[in-house]
Amino acid sequence: MSGRFAASNQVAIVGYAQSQIRRTAGRALGALTVDTARDAIRDAGLTVGQIDGFVSSSLLPSAGGRSVEDGVSIVSSNWLAQHLGAVPRYTAGFDGIGQLPGSVVLGVNAVASGAADYVLVHRALHNPKGRYHGNPMREARGAQQWVAPQGFFGPLAMIALPYNEYLQRFGARRESMQGVVVEARKNGARIPWSFWHDRPLSTADYLAAPTLFDPVCRYDCDIPVDGVAAFVLTSAERAKDLPHRPVYVAGYASAAANRPRLPMHWPLDDILEGGAAMARRLWDHAGIVAEDVDLPQVYDGFSPFVWFWLEALGLCPVGEAHRFVANGGIDSDRDGSIPVLSGGGALGNGRMHGVPQMLECYLQLSQRAGDRQRAAARLGVACHSSPHFGGAVVYSAEP
Amino acid sequence: MTTTRPVPVPDEQSAPFWAAAAEHVLKVARCARCGTLGLPPDVVCPHCGSTDPEFEFTCVSGHGAIRSWTIVRQAFLPGFDDDVPFMLVDVELAEQPGLRMIGRLLDGVEAGVRVGDAVVAAFEDLSPEVAVPAFRLAR
Repeated sequence: MSGRFAASNQVAIVGYAQSQIRRTAGRALGALTVDTARDAIRDAGLTVGQIDGFVSSSLLPSAGGRSVEDGVSIVSSNWLAQHLGAVPRYTAGFDGIGQLPGSVVLGVNAVASGAADYVLVHRALHNPKGRYHGNPMREARGAQQWVAPQGFFGPLAMIALPYNEYLQRFGARRESMQGVVVEARKNGARIPWSFWHDRPLSTADYLAAPTLFDPVCRYDCDIPVDGVAAFVLTSAERAKDLPHRPVYVAGYASAAANRPRLPMHWPLDDILEGGAAMARRLWDHAGIVAEDVDLPQVYDGFSPFVWFWLEALGLCPVGEAHRFVANGGIDSDRDGSIPVLSGGGALGNGRMHGVPQMLECYLQLSQRAGDRQRAAARLGVACHSSPHFGGAVVYSAEP
Repeated sequence: MTTTRPVPVPDEQSAPFWAAAAEHVLKVARCARCGTLGLPPDVVCPHCGSTDPEFEFTCVSGHGAIRSWTIVRQAFLPGFDDDVPFMLVDVELAEQPGLRMIGRLLDGVEAGVRVGDAVVAAFEDLSPEVAVPAFRLAR
């Protein structure tokens, strides 16, 4: 059995829209989402009436235990279709991890199977009032009883453990992470819609920040925002009649089930081994090898993910990512480097949960990146979440 | 008034674990089918796949080795504001390779720790009825 995707390069992105990314949009998330969706549909040269598929993931990635309200703190595909006045044949929500690649997979499969002709993929992120991860829990029930009474709780503790494990095992220093964060902020500062537009971060400022969950400091974490992005998918055949150069989906992979762990416990070996296995499936699915990729966009919701993805994808040897970055290996302005954060990532845009990675692949491969356009950009990978937990999609400029 | 930390709410499966912890005894679930230890106990044994694992909480030595750690300087849960900064350790228990448990290291954040350092289970008493497993350096 071949691991190659039977519908490789048969479905394409044909349009997009990205809202401004702000700490607070000043209006309801649903209104921002409807505007962004209409912009994306218009960008693709289509009308709302032609959109017959809607896919998304509506998770609010806060540990605060908040109740969510559709149209206000989250926006589901059902809500969006209803408020656009669309009559879809296919609507689906992805409830796994790696929310954006997971949503894209639902959309690609819907188009490839004929379940829908034109699918809108969206992601709407909200920054709720109050402390983002603050949780008023008084009683720890279910899975939380094994960790919360001890004070192990939330995504910063989650990432701090494997990050520190990495530092100890490979002799890395947390100061080396400045190369990741400064690179993300440099690129994000060039992006007009980014929360960090015109606001790069200096190495000195990074190093001066106190740690929150050692070795993690505030700049290692993406900032919660209000923001929405939308993309339109259709078949390669229909894409020929639309205004923009299509960007094809060559293949995808999501992480396989890992061994059961305590909640939010991600030992380093799970990440590196699970990530490498995911990458092997990804290359097989897309029918490529790692060396073919000239625009890998790694996920960076927490900066250590950049090291983990570089190693999982085989872009540098295991244990070497910290040196690879320190030696300029990911400097998007340097010839011969791998521009893994050229789109600014989450650290350079705000907590858009995989959107900057996908958007950079689309903009560069469709030749729509404007003055950020890179000459050599034929094959991209958009990653989301941890390599052992999330997923990735391979995009191609050619069918 | 001091806000209290989250209190574990034992369920049918976990009750023996918390009852033992209250006596300052560390127990881990053992699958009755294959004898493998698992934490937390799952619906299905993660080792042999039994859907009827009849997990039994069995005493362990409490000895283990630090695999990683973090110092928590900002609490997201209530009741920890007076405790920060504190150290959490990710421990591999001696009884079984890969058997990992996370708890506080009660030696304080100034205790210089290294990967591989030996620890032994200790307990924090939250109330006369409730104690939470933690660790101390076994030096």
